[in-house]
Amino acid sequence: MSENKIYFKFDGKTYGGNQGDTIASALLRNEVKLVGRSFKYHRPRGIYTCGIEEPNALVQLINEHNEPNVRATVKKIYDGMVVKSQNRWPSLKRDLGSINNLLSPIFSAGFYYKTFMGPKGFWKNVYEPLIRRTAGLGKPPREFKSKSIHLHHNIDILIVGGGLAGLLAAKKLAGTDQDVLLVERDNNLGGILRNSNKIKSIDGQKSADWIEKTEWLLKSANNIKILKNTTVTTYNYKDHLIAIEDKTVGAQPDNNKPELVMHKIRTKHTVLANGHIERFLSFRNNDLPGVMLAASFEKYIHRYGVVADTSPVIFTNNSSTFSLLKTMVDMNHKPKAYVDVRDSKKIEKETLELINNYNIPFYPKSEIEGCEGKNQIEKVFIRTKKDKTLKIKTSMLCISGGLNPDIHLFTQSKGLVKWDEKILTFKPEKSFQNTITLGSVSGNFHFEKLVEEVNKKLGFIEGCNNVNTNIEVLGPKEFYIKEIWETKSLKKSLWSKSFIDLQNDVTTKDLRQAIREGFDRIEHLKRFTTNSMGTDQGKISSINALGIASKLLKKSVSEVGTTTYRPPYSPVSFSAIAGRSTYEFYDPVRKTPIHPWHEKQNAVFEDVGQWKRPWYFKKNENESMRDAVQRESKKVRESAGILDGSTLGKIEIKGRDALQFINLMYTNSFTKMKPMSGRYGLMLGEDGMVKDDGIVCKINDQHFIATTTTGGAASVLSHMEEYAQTEWPHMNVFMNSITEQFSTFNLSGPKSRIIIQRVFPSVDFSNEKFPYMTFKFLDYLDTQVRILRASFTGELGYEIYVPPKHALKLWERIFYSSRDIELVPYGTETMHLLRAEKGYIIVGQDTDGTVTPIDLNLNWMIGKNKNDFIGKRSLNRSDIIKSDRKQLVGLVPIDKSYGIEEGQHVIEQENLSTPIKKPVKMLGQVTSSYFSPTLNHSVAMALIKEGNRKIGSHLFVSTSNLNTIAVEVVKPNFIDPENVRLKS
Amino acid sequence: MMSTFSAKDLLIEQQDFQQILIRGKGDGSFAEAVNKEISFLPPSDNLRMVGNDKYLFAKQSFDQWSLVCLAKKSDKEMINLISSLNQNEGILASDYSHTSYFEFTGENKNYYLNKITHFDFRQKKFPASTMAQTLIARIDCCIYNLKDKYLITCHSSFEDYFKDRLQDTIKI
Repeated sequence: MSENKIYFKFDGKTYGGNQGDTIASALLRNEVKLVGRSFKYHRPRGIYTCGIEEPNALVQLINEHNEPNVRATVKKIYDGMVVKSQNRWPSLKRDLGSINNLLSPIFSAGFYYKTFMGPKGFWKNVYEPLIRRTAGLGKPPREFKSKSIHLHHNIDILIVGGGLAGLLAAKKLAGTDQDVLLVERDNNLGGILRNSNKIKSIDGQKSADWIEKTEWLLKSANNIKILKNTTVTTYNYKDHLIAIEDKTVGAQPDNNKPELVMHKIRTKHTVLANGHIERFLSFRNNDLPGVMLAASFEKYIHRYGVVADTSPVIFTNNSSTFSLLKTMVDMNHKPKAYVDVRDSKKIEKETLELINNYNIPFYPKSEIEGCEGKNQIEKVFIRTKKDKTLKIKTSMLCISGGLNPDIHLFTQSKGLVKWDEKILTFKPEKSFQNTITLGSVSGNFHFEKLVEEVNKKLGFIEGCNNVNTNIEVLGPKEFYIKEIWETKSLKKSLWSKSFIDLQNDVTTKDLRQAIREGFDRIEHLKRFTTNSMGTDQGKISSINALGIASKLLKKSVSEVGTTTYRPPYSPVSFSAIAGRSTYEFYDPVRKTPIHPWHEKQNAVFEDVGQWKRPWYFKKNENESMRDAVQRESKKVRESAGILDGSTLGKIEIKGRDALQFINLMYTNSFTKMKPMSGRYGLMLGEDGMVKDDGIVCKINDQHFIATTTTGGAASVLSHMEEYAQTEWPHMNVFMNSITEQFSTFNLSGPKSRIIIQRVFPSVDFSNEKFPYMTFKFLDYLDTQVRILRASFTGELGYEIYVPPKHALKLWERIFYSSRDIELVPYGTETMHLLRAEKGYIIVGQDTDGTVTPIDLNLNWMIGKNKNDFIGKRSLNRSDIIKSDRKQLVGLVPIDKSYGIEEGQHVIEQENLSTPIKKPVKMLGQVTSSYFSPTLNHSVAMALIKEGNRKIGSHLFVSTSNLNTIAVEVVKPNFIDPENVRLKS
Repeated sequence: MMSTFSAKDLLIEQQDFQQILIRGKGDGSFAEAVNKEISFLPPSDNLRMVGNDKYLFAKQSFDQWSLVCLAKKSDKEMINLISSLNQNEGILASDYSHTSYFEFTGENKNYYLNKITHFDFRQKKFPASTMAQTLIARIDCCIYNLKDKYLITCHSSFEDYFKDRLQDTIKI
């Protein structure tokens, strides 16, 4: 322990602490015992433990992280740290919320379930807003940019816990071929060796010396890595564990460094050596500041040099408190009383000797009835074996209700646990994964038997020798405990309570009430009372609840069973879970080779899958999206436009059976299709619904190139691979995704031929020599480009496929070649508008996985003479061929000044009541809608019931403010239905 | 743009290689046809990699190989090589040159990579002269173990993102 003084603030007051202090140890050093208010009743609360199990001392850190609900017993202080207490107003000492304590009769178990049932509408308008405003303890950060990272480990053996058992296990494995990771929650190795005086010597050395030598030995071994300040929170299948490392221990968070590291550990074997947790006891006002677990009180002395009180009362039912007693007398501090529920005949001789030698007031076969005090404990009441009650003034009560093996991780791994009548707790019985438990987590509280256990359980690992460590124990060698879960309270008042769950303010009375009301299953009892559902998961109290329930139900604890321990073991910050997958790295980003040009031209980008696609180009800062899209669209129809279509999926398909494969994958027939031509293809799922579309280019019968939608590229390739590998493995056909290997430009508009002719002067682009839906390979510079005459706008158009390294130069050359022609770059929004004017669908926008080609009036794309294709059989299902299915139609507003909103309902009635009280018959929905600059009115596409029959009729489309717009149903083709422009 | 990143015991250098992705049954005639074009037999064991001064040849899956050209070829040479391979009925060869290539060297390469991938780089699990396809920084990547260095490839569309992630990983 360094004596460097550091200063921190708690509730505005400056305190001094030592380097290495936790907030709790520093506060105790300054004799501060009141640190917070309880969740429900706002009762004064103090420091109950000295570790991660703490239910009470939760505080708020005030810094950039603004971290709420920090365990004061874990978080180390640093110079300048600002800490505030939580859940109180106006101050910690005088909290108005404590009136809840007096109202406790109405806040009993199941209060929420019973109270907020009515009247109608109150939940939404009154209860929920009120509960949301008052619920919770601390306040989360408003703006905090996390720097947490993830780190993956692949190892052979993970040792959880760097205490005595973990160190012995690591020592055994040192120098072997096994990759070992030792994870310790604390910033020091040693565990109980540092926290108590239970061990007199190891190998003849003082504990601290032995730890130092062992750590040096482990660090010198090439096969062992040690992680400190790291808590294993999760044990997943299969031997995959999550651990959180705090990188800010004892230091102010550095904005450029990760504050937390989430370690994701894949291992072959897991050694759980994570020890035990002391449990408390229930008695009247067992929550008062000044009540502390005995082992924690002792830990503050050994770890931090803090004696929280020089004359506490000790209350126990087991032999573990000998260690505290010995520590106190060694320091010449005499406990005010030693209260033990056991008969003196059953109490170990070492304890009795100390009591006698130091003349400590001793109360065997007695118990603490309760305690009292205002904001901290002032007096305790002892019920002696003669059933008399004594009052003793004290400011500290150290209690021990027994020891629980820390089985959280073991049960997360799905290992089975069993109740042990001797030590009165659950301990591991059978592993489900490759899990080995060592030391007190396995229920072995006998230190001298630990070496034997380590050698036996790790003996199967090749290449390791037995450890021969001699452990000399101070005090009782065996663990003796007498069953007691709660003492009987004498004083009944609204203020007096006997708690079973300190964090959630659950009392033993709540347990009894819940059982009376029929919640006699432990899982139901837990949920009804919220017992052990706080962030501490009832680490010091959940077994006590089982014990009390077993008595009330007149069953054994074994029969009552235990609740399920779920990950995480201790609270995990969302920033640790997110890691670097936030902000700029939230999702991987894909860019086309033309991206830098787009940026220079003020493109506004749209996310399409992971691609960044130009949505529209702003001509100037003041131009709105609507104006930009109208301008771009008009220019394409009047002159020419170019779209960066590089994101389109492209799949190269080749093999002897490629034609047969393509015929099966698509609805169209490709058999009679001429080489070097393209065809619009439709792909269905097995359910007959449209899955994807695109142009299929046939180089020859053995070689095709298919395009897909941008978003569907990966799934279409996967679809093809699945069928090639699983359904038709006999076929000789292979496919590669070549999406990335070619940039694609969609040149479109009446002047596109002039432009492309200038760029590729050696090619004849006339209608006769280069007809619609044909393609050519051209030599370009040192490479080859492919040009396909096709269009997604309804205008004369060409798709240019060029290797990406030449793409930007070619793109610029196209603009240079058209400097006397109005060529506009256009984005995806204009593309959508232009294709909607022409009536071309977009899969995923005009379809939703429930739409067949027939619904889209694409019957002509179904190869009638084909024997088979994916989805063919489904197209004959009665549900698919029925006449009242939704069909794709066009909509035009009767009053041309109105716009139609995408996603709105198409209905028959003109007037809608506000609010809508009677069901309105919905005919369908608007799938696409744009304002056409060419037609100067809105055009829309919609899927409506029996749409084809309704062509020519007038219907209504709802609006977002519950009005309607009258529309005429038309064919979904608004411009050039004869395809004159397309084939010009 | 070629980039170099470095940290303690780590050097990441971007390279400019070319690549052909080859699909085929992998039988004798396949090997013969490939060998005829490049005088190099494709590896037959899954995830195995062979190499010489000109090529790295790796079997990526049961019917897929990547041929990384270490010695620069002209575009015409690449087109001709791909065209020749595609003359064989049982082969599909596609130009995969538009791929981003990064070489990782240094003692700490595994440590830094394990910040962004779960992949097990230990020698006993990922020996030299093998390759793997996995996720790094949540994108599809290929890793070629060249004994003292890794060659990691990803789609070029992810290049900027991947470089940003690498820089971030080194920095933080």
